[in-house]
Amino acid sequence: MEDAKSGRSISRRGFLKGLGGGAIGTAVITTGLVNSDAAAAYSPEAVGTGRGKSTISLKVNGKSYRVEVEHRNTLAEVLRDQLGLTGTKIGCDRGECGACTVMIDGRNFYSCSQLAVWMQGKEILTIEGLAKGDKLDPLQEAFIEHDGPQCGFCTSGQIMSGKALLLKNSQPTEAQARRALSGNLCRCGNYNREVAAVLAAATKAG
Amino acid sequence: MAQAQNEFSVVGKRIPRIDAYERVTGQAQYTGDIQLPGMFYARVLRSPHPHATIVSIDTSKAEKLPGVKAVIHHGNAKIPWSSGGHTHPRFIFNNPVRFVGDPVAAVAATDRHIAEEALGLIDVRYEKIPHVLDPNEALKPDAPKISTDGNLSVGKGNFSAPIEESWGDLEQGFKEADRVFEDTYITKHTNNAQLERRVSVAKWDAGKLTVFASTQGVSNARTDIAKDFALPLSKVRVVSKYMGGGFGNKNQAQDYDYMAVVLAKATSQPVKLEFTREDDYIGMHGRWASEQKYKIGVKKDGTITAVQLDAVTNIGAYRKQSGNLSGTDFYQIPNFRKVIKPVHTNTVVGANYRAPAYPQSVFGFASFLDQIAYELGINPVDMFMRNRIQKYKSKLPFSSNYLEECIIEGSKRIGWNEKWHKPGATGDVKKHGIGMALGGYTFRPGLGEATNRLNPDGTAHVLVGVTDIGTGAKSTMAIIAAEALGIPLNQIQLTNGDTDVTPYSVGESGSRTTPFTGPAVIAAAEDVRRQVFALAAGQLKAKPEELDLRDGQVFAKSNPAQKLALGRVVSRAGEIIGRATTNRSFKDVEGKSFAAHFAEVEVDSWTGHVKITRYVAAHDSGTIINRLPAESQIKGGVVQGIGMAFTEELITDRVTATPINPNYRDAKVPTHLEAPEVEVIFIEHPDPYGPFGGKVVGEPPITPSVATIANAIFNATGKRIKELPITPDKILLARQV
Repeated sequence: MEDAKSGRSISRRGFLKGLGGGAIGTAVITTGLVNSDAAAAYSPEAVGTGRGKSTISLKVNGKSYRVEVEHRNTLAEVLRDQLGLTGTKIGCDRGECGACTVMIDGRNFYSCSQLAVWMQGKEILTIEGLAKGDKLDPLQEAFIEHDGPQCGFCTSGQIMSGKALLLKNSQPTEAQARRALSGNLCRCGNYNREVAAVLAAATKAG
Repeated sequence: MAQAQNEFSVVGKRIPRIDAYERVTGQAQYTGDIQLPGMFYARVLRSPHPHATIVSIDTSKAEKLPGVKAVIHHGNAKIPWSSGGHTHPRFIFNNPVRFVGDPVAAVAATDRHIAEEALGLIDVRYEKIPHVLDPNEALKPDAPKISTDGNLSVGKGNFSAPIEESWGDLEQGFKEADRVFEDTYITKHTNNAQLERRVSVAKWDAGKLTVFASTQGVSNARTDIAKDFALPLSKVRVVSKYMGGGFGNKNQAQDYDYMAVVLAKATSQPVKLEFTREDDYIGMHGRWASEQKYKIGVKKDGTITAVQLDAVTNIGAYRKQSGNLSGTDFYQIPNFRKVIKPVHTNTVVGANYRAPAYPQSVFGFASFLDQIAYELGINPVDMFMRNRIQKYKSKLPFSSNYLEECIIEGSKRIGWNEKWHKPGATGDVKKHGIGMALGGYTFRPGLGEATNRLNPDGTAHVLVGVTDIGTGAKSTMAIIAAEALGIPLNQIQLTNGDTDVTPYSVGESGSRTTPFTGPAVIAAAEDVRRQVFALAAGQLKAKPEELDLRDGQVFAKSNPAQKLALGRVVSRAGEIIGRATTNRSFKDVEGKSFAAHFAEVEVDSWTGHVKITRYVAAHDSGTIINRLPAESQIKGGVVQGIGMAFTEELITDRVTATPINPNYRDAKVPTHLEAPEVEVIFIEHPDPYGPFGGKVVGEPPITPSVATIANAIFNATGKRIKELPITPDKILLARQV
């Protein structure tokens, strides 16, 4: 995961560990994403209750949407409940597990830790947008061949973090792949497979 | 084995899961992904007190919050949850509440945030009752009583207490010993922590109840719901198509399913009840903690003469499971006695987590054996080899047992003979060590059912009640069907996990799916093949018993050149339906999958940090039906063991009785960075009782992993850590033996 503000490559989980708690970590890590449009959507009372609503425009998987969201809604909720894109999972809803990982403007983020109102003008890529029509992304193919999913609940997130890595670094080492995926928990413990899939996809693309 | 593989066309290969496409594209629909028109969202309010009587619940403020549709609690929803407690009766809401996290109320609202807000508006008055957290304290006569019968959890059958087992002559065994050792090992409560939080979607349609459950067993879930709501089985449908992990804590039906059912009834709308991650950690159960006191008699050469185990296990406020400890199962013990006391305390429930009675007790027993080997000056690999189990309870042979080969091949692969050294012998800051332990899990055949339907185009439907919690069970069943039918795998459509459609299955727990349902799939295929051969006999000018079906072609064995496409045969009958119920049992044998694990570690003697540098897992699971997911399961079981060995523990604050780390970050489950490459070796010999010779895979890998790591740390440091988790501070503070 990346710290959006500094652009430093940093393990999200490691980053949160360094802070006092998940909530604080979330607030810090996301401030860099608040653009002026979305910030203007706030009114003090809306911030207070979270029940206030704003309409935002965003692109998801290449499609433009205008959606009315509550200020307390996270991106993960809006993707799942309003846009029906349930491939993005919510495992902890507190920025720890990475099941909700999506790409925002080309970088991977925990969508449970991004408020939907911050997404004004953003381009989101979810697991549903990875394949080109019927043609799977090489990383998805590699996940099939290397048995990436056990229960499959973390798989979307693993793939999105893997994809974000490959976009930045088309030939990662094993250590780099592990590091890049370290914010994505897999309780089935299928870590060997997920890393193998990322490396195989890199080889294929290279 | 190469020979076995050659006999099969699909069994024993490396085949990607049949639903892998759905899982990598986000199309797999899990319970939480289900959206129904008009559906409400529900959340649960939990007790902040470890033991208290609820004096009153005022829900009026919560009900006035716009969007709130129903509030339920013990006063208006006194629904028994029979599988939730096998000693004192348990309800979905209890009064008194018996642990921090015991459900008090649930709210359904138009939106999950409103439901959450409403929880804060429920005014509950509690009257605190004295509580007890420590199982040894709980056994004292003046301890607060959690169950009216006392805190030693006495139920019936599997839930009796204390759990006692013995054979041979213990006294004689200790007399025959050259040395007798005594020690105590301690393990803590750890959580299943599957990625999918618990969730349930319930809806009523004119008296018919449908529950989309995140359950490991739809048949058992249906039975539970029907029983506790007094409904006919025909009026209850339970569906679980994709499941985001469970590792034993989503067996059957659970209280949250029941709450969703009640709320759906109360609101006349579908209800989705979602747990938060904290709910998931404290609201259900984890692995029971234990204190294990061993007395072990051995000969000078290391041969065990007697073992006595006295233990208490902390099963928390309710008895959901046995609370047993079975880590001695993998050793030949001529004289044995164990007394396990499952004890109630005012803490989170301890129940099923992958191989429930094993990793914690394998840690205790295999650590102690490793220690005794050291005391006797014996190489651990010789100690484990000498004492490996050969006869079940010193009496019955096993249906198959290749534990010896697991030890030989695993130790060879890791280079045991070159790498093992006297414990603590390396002098550098980074100390190298190697360790091993034995494990496995019960393999037993049982009741299974399956239905096959052949279509007029030669494709087939296979219907089984199994769920797939990540093991690849759907693929396993489809592969067994393809092999048994003689139809290509891609011509098979597998339907699973829907009680209105699929036949009975035991549920995916206890490593039972393959041995229970696998034989039924084979028998149903044989039923279909008999019908096909009867229809084709005339045309192929042969007797039915002379025919064969392979790759979707029917032919006479004596004349394989003349083939008849399966579809042409079936079309004459419309479609062909075959079904089977199988219920084999052992005759004068017992069954187990076996494993021997080996690890190399590097311990930083300045920081106490441990790195696993190599891990080898050798398994005897009979024929491996599908190597790809089977290997994955072994790897994953080891990773879960790594978490249990090093970091995981649900910590209950001694003053407030509140779990203080009920989340991933603070309970510290392993990440990519902590997972070593796990090398998997399958020692493959077909078992005569398993489908195509397969035994069980799911539970064995977690059983020896914790002890294996602990023993490697001992070899590196000469320090024996007797309490989990093995954190750096324990390593730094421990004395060398």
